[in-house]
Amino acid sequence: MEIEFVNIPMVVDVPYRFAAGSYMARFLIELRDNGKFFGIQCPSCGRVQMPPRIVCAACHIKNGEWIELSPTGTLMGFSIVHLPLTDPTTGLPHKTPYTYGIVRLDGAYSTIEHFIDVEPDIQKVRVGMRVRAILRPREERTGDLNDILHFAPIGEA
Amino acid sequence: MKRKVAIIGGGQTVHASRRHDVNQGEMVNEAVRAALADGRMTMDDIDAVLLGNMEFFEGCHLTDCWLADATGAYGKPGLKITTGGTVGATTIVAGAHHIASGLFDRVLCIGFEKQEEGDSSAILSGVAHPLYGRSLAGAAVGYFAMMGASYMQAFGAREEHSAMVAVKARQNARKNPYAHLKLDITIQDVFDSKMLAYPIRLLDMCPTSNGACAMILADEKTARERCEKPVWIRATETAHNEQFELNWRDVTNTRPIFSRVCAEKLYKKLGVENPATFFDVFEVYEPATWAELVWYEDLGLCKRGEGFHLIEEGQTEINGPIPVNPSGGVLSTNCIGASAMLRIWEAALQIRNDAGEHQVPKDINWALTTAYGGTNWTVMTALSKKWEDS
Ligand SMILES: [Zn+2]
Repeated sequence: MEIEFVNIPMVVDVPYRFAAGSYMARFLIELRDNGKFFGIQCPSCGRVQMPPRIVCAACHIKNGEWIELSPTGTLMGFSIVHLPLTDPTTGLPHKTPYTYGIVRLDGAYSTIEHFIDVEPDIQKVRVGMRVRAILRPREERTGDLNDILHFAPIGEA
Repeated sequence: MKRKVAIIGGGQTVHASRRHDVNQGEMVNEAVRAALADGRMTMDDIDAVLLGNMEFFEGCHLTDCWLADATGAYGKPGLKITTGGTVGATTIVAGAHHIASGLFDRVLCIGFEKQEEGDSSAILSGVAHPLYGRSLAGAAVGYFAMMGASYMQAFGAREEHSAMVAVKARQNARKNPYAHLKLDITIQDVFDSKMLAYPIRLLDMCPTSNGACAMILADEKTARERCEKPVWIRATETAHNEQFELNWRDVTNTRPIFSRVCAEKLYKKLGVENPATFFDVFEVYEPATWAELVWYEDLGLCKRGEGFHLIEEGQTEINGPIPVNPSGGVLSTNCIGASAMLRIWEAALQIRNDAGEHQVPKDINWALTTAYGGTNWTVMTALSKKWEDS
């Protein structure tokens, strides 16, 4: 006898509203209004952390001085993504293939992940490549990491 | 730990991408019954039940409560634990702590995941900070892809080295009747599989599995009285990374990364100088091929940048000098809430000489297991056959 399996489909659609908090809010406002990146420096170990946060994890003391960072940095890792991954914030898939990487801004301890404006070809991208953050025009910026369009190579065609 | 703790029983379900024949409770109960049978116990012998799975993967909160009948927790104390991919190992650590403290003598620990019931990728996107990185979250595949690209460029490894890990895992899985992906594949098959995110192809990644594992932990008195082959939990260790700092994907990074910190602390507890000879078998948490090569290095089985030589030389094969994941590992079976517990259970089976066809062909006295949580923290356990041998 054939067994009938019963499955009940269901969609759970949950709205959220996240508080950025004082540190992240100031970081996102600087990015949106002035197109600037800020890190925060630990008074003990000196690490400049981005995004700014209340506590240095390693020292567990309150972070101190806000440090403006250069929009330039170095590519520390990359991938060329072929899988049409969904942007969880919009529900829409990213257009593939695209180059994606982690960048360490000059002077920062931390890295940031973003799109890299390089042809999705492994011959054209390498760890150690110098890159610069390209921001959206001021009127399109909303105070989100998407205010960064991508990182583009410096001095490489 | 204040009192000695042993693994005195365990069991697992078969792992598969489809289990429409059972609901979550029925699937968990399969593992619970297998563990009780293995430990020659009934629920009356169990003092407490600890349950672990991923938050909301199955769309249900408080699984400890509404699976209470199937887990055996009815009328007993218990806990729900959820620490990401590490959860199966954390559940064992919590069970061991409850026994070591003297609070309980016999604890049933369960890990499960029924991934087919929800959208794991959608729920996992909630791991990324909502205001910093979530929109670009590249899922687990993106993280491991960057690790792989960075590894190749830094150390001169090639894509065939990760493919060797993919082949080893699935060939080992063919010897494990419970494994999900029992594939008779070659390096060429890996190369021919679909590119997901360079350099990760489909066969470089773990599957989406349904399954459960259950284990019974006990104090020394119970273990010696009731179990012929108790496996002793000699040390456990957990280490976290800091939030936002995901730069361990740059494998040349020399800062204290969770995996290396955790191994160092664990080795110090046990006085391990050369882990490659101290331990007889390893069960590591490798959702992607490159992660296994990085584990070789982070665990100190070889020097930094030389992990790919171990796979190339066959050193980590079942019959090699440093067997890693004879079970087929996470690459062959990933029912996430159970995956880290399966590492410990498979290591215990090796020590008991009960692994069957995937038994490592040598005397196994010590085993080491690892786990990944959110790929940003780890839980490690060290197991031994005898308590007296160190
Ligand atoms: Zn500090």
